[in-house]
Amino acid sequence: MRTAKVRKKESSADSTFPGKMGHFHHVGMSMGMSSGDDNSTMAPSHHHPTSSASHSHSHMMMMMPMTFYFGFKNVELLFSGLVINTAGEMAGAFVAVFLLAMFYEGLKIAREGLLRKSQVSIRYNSMPVPGPNGTILMETHKTVGQQMLSFPHLLQTVLHIIQVVISYFLMLIFMTYNGYLCIAVAAGAGMGYFLFSWKKAVVVDITEHCH
Amino acid sequence: MAMHFIFSDEVVLLFDFWSVHSPAGVALSVLVILLLAVLYEGIKVGKARLLHQALTSLSISTSQQLIEETDQHSTSSDSPHVSRTRLRWFLCHFGQSLLHVAQVVIGYFMMLAVMSYNTWIFFGVVLGSGVGYYLAYPLLSMT
Repeated sequence: MRTAKVRKKESSADSTFPGKMGHFHHVGMSMGMSSGDDNSTMAPSHHHPTSSASHSHSHMMMMMPMTFYFGFKNVELLFSGLVINTAGEMAGAFVAVFLLAMFYEGLKIAREGLLRKSQVSIRYNSMPVPGPNGTILMETHKTVGQQMLSFPHLLQTVLHIIQVVISYFLMLIFMTYNGYLCIAVAAGAGMGYFLFSWKKAVVVDITEHCH
Repeated sequence: MAMHFIFSDEVVLLFDFWSVHSPAGVALSVLVILLLAVLYEGIKVGKARLLHQALTSLSISTSQQLIEETDQHSTSSDSPHVSRTRLRWFLCHFGQSLLHVAQVVIGYFMMLAVMSYNTWIFFGVVLGSGVGYYLAYPLLSMT
């Protein structure tokens, strides 16, 4: 029952969400919340305006938004120094996230192309093998793939790491639940897919006939 | 935010208006999330099929164009045919990009739904992905 009451209070506070968020974020940032510290350490020294200080749950509920909202006041973006406060900064962040999502799609398709290019080079290993009548036959083995220490494989690995990091960044950006940033992620992904996959489809058309 | 899975009758999903407080509401939410996951798998298969269809139809049209060229030796009839093919390819690729945007958005919505840490919702996502894969992937190898 008690937790239900706390939750109802939170839902009424959520309607004025960006304003309240600003208050909490101001205190949260000074306590290094973005480094992932335990949220309950905030409860003793923080004065909650609407309920008593013993409700440590209320602080944790307000820290991270759990529904989509449109706003640009006090939006934390990924790193502790990156806070959006004005419409201009939000526009800049929108463009940056858009370009990041486009770059991610391009990286995916570039990796596919690189992989296909490096696997087209089929290696033939010829080994002498003793035949039935004492003759020596040449047995050729066809290997498709990459060696461990070859440059294409190392390049693929580095690009894979970059791709994983960027995909997690995009996930974290979407997790801010900010409507503008989420739209930037989706639009950037769509635009990137449109621009980079256009060329890929033409290439696939040519190579598919050969296989 | 509780950082572990809980069985709960209350959940707030994605939007402010989507807050349920009863078992019936949670069941309905699980059903909606399940259908969303089925749709996600379906879109993945749909994109691949669209690409395959476009490639086969356009390769047929370009080979027809080559046959016409060798028969008639006329360059004047080329340009409307080429531009028509290019326009069709553009439309098909634009449709695929829209499908890709829908896939990205639904994928992120499902991630955020799992982030609510409600176990019923998580089951809905997993079951929906399984049902969606089961229904959609045989359609991939058709035609």
